[in-house]
Amino acid sequence: MSRDLNIKVHHLTRVEGHGNIVVNMKDGVLEKAHLSIVEPPRFFEAMVKGRSFHEAAIITSRICGICSLGHQLTSLVATEDALGLEISEQTRLLRKLLIHGATMQSNILHAYFLAAPDFLGAGSVFPLIATHKDVVLRALRMKRVANDIGDIVSGRAVHPITPVPGGFTRIPEKAELLELKRKLLEEALPDGLETVETMKALAGAIPQFERETEYISLKNADEYAFYEGDIFSSDSGAIPVQNYLDVTNEFVVNHSTSKHAKHNRNSYFVGALARWNNNSAQLGEEALAAAAAMGLKPNCHNPYMNTIAQVVEAVHCILDSVRIIDKLIDDGLKNEKPNQTPTRYGRGISSNEVPRGILFHDYTYDNKGNIIKANCVIPTGQNLANIDNDMLKLVPEIINKSKAEITLALEMLVRAYDPCISCSVHMLEVDFIE
Amino acid sequence: MAALTVIGVGNRLRGDDAVGPLLIDALSMLPDSELELVDAGSDALGILEYFEDRRQVIIVDACSMGREPGGLVSFTPSQAELVLDQDPMSLHGLGLAEALRMGESLHMLPKDLKIIGIEPDSIQFNATLSQPVQRALTIAVKIVRDELERVTIELDTCSDCIEV
Repeated sequence: MSRDLNIKVHHLTRVEGHGNIVVNMKDGVLEKAHLSIVEPPRFFEAMVKGRSFHEAAIITSRICGICSLGHQLTSLVATEDALGLEISEQTRLLRKLLIHGATMQSNILHAYFLAAPDFLGAGSVFPLIATHKDVVLRALRMKRVANDIGDIVSGRAVHPITPVPGGFTRIPEKAELLELKRKLLEEALPDGLETVETMKALAGAIPQFERETEYISLKNADEYAFYEGDIFSSDSGAIPVQNYLDVTNEFVVNHSTSKHAKHNRNSYFVGALARWNNNSAQLGEEALAAAAAMGLKPNCHNPYMNTIAQVVEAVHCILDSVRIIDKLIDDGLKNEKPNQTPTRYGRGISSNEVPRGILFHDYTYDNKGNIIKANCVIPTGQNLANIDNDMLKLVPEIINKSKAEITLALEMLVRAYDPCISCSVHMLEVDFIE
Repeated sequence: MAALTVIGVGNRLRGDDAVGPLLIDALSMLPDSELELVDAGSDALGILEYFEDRRQVIIVDACSMGREPGGLVSFTPSQAELVLDQDPMSLHGLGLAEALRMGESLHMLPKDLKIIGIEPDSIQFNATLSQPVQRALTIAVKIVRDELERVTIELDTCSDCIEV
């Protein structure tokens, strides 16, 4: 069909940092379809330069209110790698517990407050508050349990304070962990399973769109990987984290101030769906049952299903948090001090799975323990090229729909990836009633 | 239960956006058990957790109000139209306006809720607080102290919109 189509979704509601969707079709030929990002999320490499190893994680955790825990832990691991700081098994478990809390929180809020309104045709979450109050309250209850994990393990829900290089400055009490376990089992788990039911009911509204791509995530032989492991590509298999630059291959494009990334193909996918595709066999039966109930199958190539994979992960995070708490208590909580005596100075590289996908931090320290070089590759930057490729395939497939329907499908696509665009600033805009 | 809860919203790394958290720092020097202080960082949605069972809440945030930099306005949610991000592309679009609207719809807002908005000069990364906002911060500290005094002696008169 010969058709002209011009879509421009300008997202200017934030003071700085926004993404615009641009689609341009002339005489039925798609000339342009992309998400342009108008803020470089690469500012902080300069901010950590010259800072000591005690400060790096504090600064990086404040880059973003939503991704703070992921940045903080990934920063700590890079520093420990650079300075040769060994950590204990207890530290490792406590960090995994923190990541589970942050992942559950982000995944649940995304599913309820961004994806569900789309599936219900509601435009935003606000009309749903009146009609689905119980569901909104459920989302907030789950956020609260996730915050409790942050409060108890890291000292503060938003910007963690107790995780430092080499360990924790405070170890949670047994009673605190038991109370957390109770909340996870008695509050978060029933809410998580109800979430599966809600999403199952909405799954019919998920667009049917398939585009096979390369899926990249961490992979760990022992468990569904969030913390520690090798990089894993669905195309080429395992790659050591030390070689991350061979994976990310960042390049500059004209339409975005954020760099794009490619590995084996011209784009790749990171995030919950990539983790699911690469590691779903390592999930427990409850999470797998949740996936089956919501129609998520292994090797899923529908990017809109990223939201469903997030809900599956939330169920996993709740149950695996209980397992971690049991192990911490069974092993006996030890009042360890963080190991902060460097055994070397040099370069350290780390990678963790954060809610939006695989994250890399790479620092080089001088022999005084100050950073001389830093690099960080965030998940959203890695997904941008893949979002563009999805758009290029999607637009011709739905070209017979109305412009409004096409625009919505594209917005939903971008939202499915939950990009970290205007990281960290939320200016309240106010018009006074005269 | 503290008599007054003060919540600072904002990112310490972004110039004048740090004014909310910095106000919390300044108030933490006051030895007052009647004051509950919360640095909410940039997780605006998290403020809803501090509304439950609270007597009086003051939120302090850098606000785009069309004033001169450092302009300070104390207002209630009903006195202002908080501009919502109607079509957020990501969770990063959920800010204070969205959190307050959600709180209102869920009937979670405390009866006595005020917002102290401070117009920023710059919210660039790695910037320090601008002079006008530094001055506004001092005024905000005074407003909170006055409010605390008012609350603790249980006066039930409510000051109207104060513009400084």
